[in-house]
Amino acid sequence: MNDTIVQIMWWVLAAGALAGAVTVVFSRDVLRMALGLGGFLVALAGFYMYYALPFLATVQVFVYVGGVLVLILFGIMLVHRSEGDARPGLSSRHDPGSAAVAVGILALVTSMLWPLRDVMTERPASAGTKAIADLLLGDLLPHFEAAGALLLIALVAVIVIAGGDDR
Amino acid sequence: MSGLLGGIVFGLVGGVAIALSTMVGVYGERKIAAKIQRRFGPQETGPYGLLQLPADTLKMILKEDITPRQADARIFKIAPYFVFVPIAMGLVVIPVAAGWAALDSSIGILFFLAVPSLSVLGILIAGWSSGNTYATIGGMRGAAQMISYELPRTLSVLAVVILAGSLRPVDVVQAWRWWWIPLNFIGIVVYYISSIAELNRGPFDIPESESELVAGYFADYAGIRWGIFMMSEYGGMLAASLFGAAIFLGTLTWLPGPFGIITFLLGTGVIGSSMIWVKWTFPRMRPDQLMTTAWKVLTPLALVQLVIVGVVVPWL
Repeated sequence: MNDTIVQIMWWVLAAGALAGAVTVVFSRDVLRMALGLGGFLVALAGFYMYYALPFLATVQVFVYVGGVLVLILFGIMLVHRSEGDARPGLSSRHDPGSAAVAVGILALVTSMLWPLRDVMTERPASAGTKAIADLLLGDLLPHFEAAGALLLIALVAVIVIAGGDDR
Repeated sequence: MSGLLGGIVFGLVGGVAIALSTMVGVYGERKIAAKIQRRFGPQETGPYGLLQLPADTLKMILKEDITPRQADARIFKIAPYFVFVPIAMGLVVIPVAAGWAALDSSIGILFFLAVPSLSVLGILIAGWSSGNTYATIGGMRGAAQMISYELPRTLSVLAVVILAGSLRPVDVVQAWRWWWIPLNFIGIVVYYISSIAELNRGPFDIPESESELVAGYFADYAGIRWGIFMMSEYGGMLAASLFGAAIFLGTLTWLPGPFGIITFLLGTGVIGSSMIWVKWTFPRMRPDQLMTTAWKVLTPLALVQLVIVGVVVPWL
């Protein structure tokens, strides 16, 4: 019984992710597109939960939905006017090019993941926060510090570039 | 199956807890505000005006559910749930007895900080979909404020996590010692202030300031959808008070065994009432003061607290 419910949850998550992705592509309202992206990201967090990776799921929600998506919404609201500028019709002269890029990426990802298909059907054991901490503050400490320093530099650079006019 | 059943039971209990805390909270708020302003507050309906809240609840449920003509109707209608559900979800990881939480997760504290912060999304889209300038400004202010105050709040909780050496709320409660309160004093103050700001409550209520923005992001809502916003606010207060009482003050361990719940609920009540007291005592902040407080005062203070804890921990 429990297994059935878990299986149903998997299909619900998959449907949610697909619905979000379809909304992003086909909606004509930018805000709905952003919400579709949000639905997709939450469904992805649900998949992490399904594969017994609660830490990754929580971080996904914290960083992507709580951070990146809110930033995107902010951008939309500050740039956009509310009435009368829904995205024009779906067809554009870029369509063949976009379709080619999409098919190419699909082929690339599929060719990379196809050899792993047996591994991916198994649920990995959760790595737990202790293991992640040991890794990040042990062997990978230099990488971790370097990434942190790089992000800090980028952040300061953005502030300098964005606020550069008044000096 | 038992997991699913347990989930439904916990969901019902949590929903009832939030609804009750909203009723008690609104009644307490009106009575305390009245005391502070030398009025009586509700007193006509029932003894001490106690029946005012059930009457108001009934009125709210029966009221017409209005959608403004200029609103984006579908998003407008689901926005309140986007605010309420994350805040309600935050309740599940809070330990309600020493060694027991509804969802005993090894990353419970991260969950409590991450999931309720999703209500920012609901506030943004509620303000935007109303198609009303006041509401949009309120939504943007609310989101900016909540994102800013998330940082000092998370840092202040991190100090306790370092002391306890675990992200599991139950472990933190078990590891809690009385000298954590003086050692962690700055962190407690930072957590308290930034929790009030996260809830958009006075003196940090500039997103819903009634004198300039009517009610901010929920200005256009009526009836039960407005009620859901109210329940989110008081549910958030309940969650912040419960979490503070359990993790920062360790009230679950003040009395032995199951009696800890008495001090726990008392502590929660004291924290919640003091939030009401603060709201009706301090004037509303200006937006620039709000940002200064978050980035130039509370964040450095939280970092100082982290350094203090970091220095002390190796000697324990």
